[in-house]
Amino acid sequence: MPTALITGITGQDGSYLTEHLLSLGYAVHGVVRRTSTLERSRLRHLYGDPQIYGRSLILHYADLEDPTSLRRILVKVAPDEVYHLAGQSHVGLSFEIAESTVDSVAMGTLRLLEIIRDLPKPPRFFHAASSEIFGRPAQVPQDEATPMVPVNPYGAAKAFAAGLVRIYREKHGLFLVNGILYNHESPRRGENFVTRKICRAAAAISQGRQEFLQLGDTSAQRDWGDARDYVRGMWLALQHPQPEDFIFATGVLHTVQDVVEAAFSVAGLDWQKYVRRDERLLRSQEPFALVGNAAKAERLLGWRPGKDLQALVRWMVEAEL
Amino acid sequence: MSSKKALITGITGQDGSYLAELLLGKGYEVHGLIRRASTFNTSRLDAIYTDPHFPKHQLFLHYGDLADASNLSRLVGKIQPDEVYNLAAQSHVRVSFDAPEYTADVTATGTVRLLEAIRETGIRPRFYQASSSEMFGLVQEVPQKETTPFYPRSPYGCAKVYSHWITVNYRESYGLHASNGILFNHESPRRGETFVTRKITRAAAHIKLGLQDKLFMGNLDSKRDWGYAKEYVEAMWLMLQQPEGDDYVVATNETHTIRECLDVAFGQVGLDWHKHVEIDPRYYRPAEVDLLIGDYSKAKAKLGWEPKTKFKALIGLMTDADVKLIQEQLAGKVRRQD
Repeated sequence: MPTALITGITGQDGSYLTEHLLSLGYAVHGVVRRTSTLERSRLRHLYGDPQIYGRSLILHYADLEDPTSLRRILVKVAPDEVYHLAGQSHVGLSFEIAESTVDSVAMGTLRLLEIIRDLPKPPRFFHAASSEIFGRPAQVPQDEATPMVPVNPYGAAKAFAAGLVRIYREKHGLFLVNGILYNHESPRRGENFVTRKICRAAAAISQGRQEFLQLGDTSAQRDWGDARDYVRGMWLALQHPQPEDFIFATGVLHTVQDVVEAAFSVAGLDWQKYVRRDERLLRSQEPFALVGNAAKAERLLGWRPGKDLQALVRWMVEAEL
Repeated sequence: MSSKKALITGITGQDGSYLAELLLGKGYEVHGLIRRASTFNTSRLDAIYTDPHFPKHQLFLHYGDLADASNLSRLVGKIQPDEVYNLAAQSHVRVSFDAPEYTADVTATGTVRLLEAIRETGIRPRFYQASSSEMFGLVQEVPQKETTPFYPRSPYGCAKVYSHWITVNYRESYGLHASNGILFNHESPRRGETFVTRKITRAAAHIKLGLQDKLFMGNLDSKRDWGYAKEYVEAMWLMLQQPEGDDYVVATNETHTIRECLDVAFGQVGLDWHKHVEIDPRYYRPAEVDLLIGDYSKAKAKLGWEPKTKFKALIGLMTDADVKLIQEQLAGKVRRQD
């Protein structure tokens, strides 16, 4: 049975990846932060199953700021594959809590690379990089060769981490992969991300649990995909014979306004009655047209994402009802 | 007169949520520091948002982290609090053996980052540090009081001892009105689910309602001095209302075993725990602490504080709350949050 270790297992991607790997017969080990609430809601269905939890799914307490604990877990678990998904991932908040964002996202990745370098049998390693590394891109759409020009602390930290992954791959001959992931959503998306916020609000308003929705600039554009496709891409990237970087994206841009209209339509509401503009929610610096060209992933990995935003939004709104 | 402002680190925890309620009730403007997580982590503050009794517009939450010094400094400067309560920590003793470096970074160094942020901004808030009975570890006298020497027996206890002394040091070096509350174990229906009392009361409720059959436990002979968290946060506030900063033990001066906790919790729902409890050595601590029992006579004399809810009543009310919570979840009244 192959063994995988996931950092960020309690997150959206971590939970879908866990389900995917379990279905492929993996033993899955996850690294979890300690919190005083037992909020592992995305894993609850697996966690509560004694046939899975403690057998094919095992959780370990550690933190990306605690290198010795990470080392101990990696030595003990001796995984075949590591999926590094953990990090403070909210762009807006990365301006508020810049030091801890950079510490978890960039230094956390470097700590893992340093540990892996020392292991007798280094695992294959997937790093969840982000389209935010391109920030103000010189080309549209972006591909694996597009230069990194981050415009926020989160993007800068991810660019730093992605650069280190490339350096350690070349210098030490390790099987290290950057997956440059564009936005990918699901009902498990964090509640302060815009798609989830809109879908939650549309459902809550339709059920009388909320009165209105405040949003910043709804003309902002993103390349949004279905999170389940992206975790399949992560796994595929580590099965490829060579370690290489891959863009994972739909290649299609939509506006926040498109999401608003789709979500309120699913909820059977006229969005114009419920959406208010809030200047405080505007980002310090909006990135430019971040849209990815995933031709390489399609050609080498056979990866093809769903591209239907309406279907994605429908899934997310209905999950809230 | 404008209302007093308080900053609470650890506001999403058991004590932070009770303290926020207490201070809002006294007319404070309350600011809380919360860590970013991709799941909801503010469930303990729900009462404030849903109970019209609380002035929720007086509550402000800020993203931050005790590991992020500049953010702390910026927040302290912006909020200009009259009182700062440092309750945030990696507070689980067993987990501190798994992740000692992170525990030290947050539980020890985090305190000095906060004190430095206060010193840098030049404002003079009163400061409360959540010290812990775990600092006594291998106890040097029974019961323990403010003058009992510390002998911590876990990375968590070691980190708390550092935070205790650095708080004393800032009081003596810079004349800061800073106090340590040496709190013995304090529980409530909001206690984290991995702590032993809550683990027991939850399990008793689950087993009673037919949702679970077995409960795996560590050392049943461990003894603790357990009080009610809601009363302990009043002691915190009282410390900051005194003319001078000082250190106080907050405890019940009673000790009970895990076994007694099982007796009360299972008895509360009419069950015999012997039929459901199994011992699992994995739950034994690498180094167990001795007889922790606190002498709160100084707090009684100077603050006029004493515990009202004792062990049996406490475990009883926690068990009742867990039964009610699970029944509400089963009835679909409590929405899933993620």
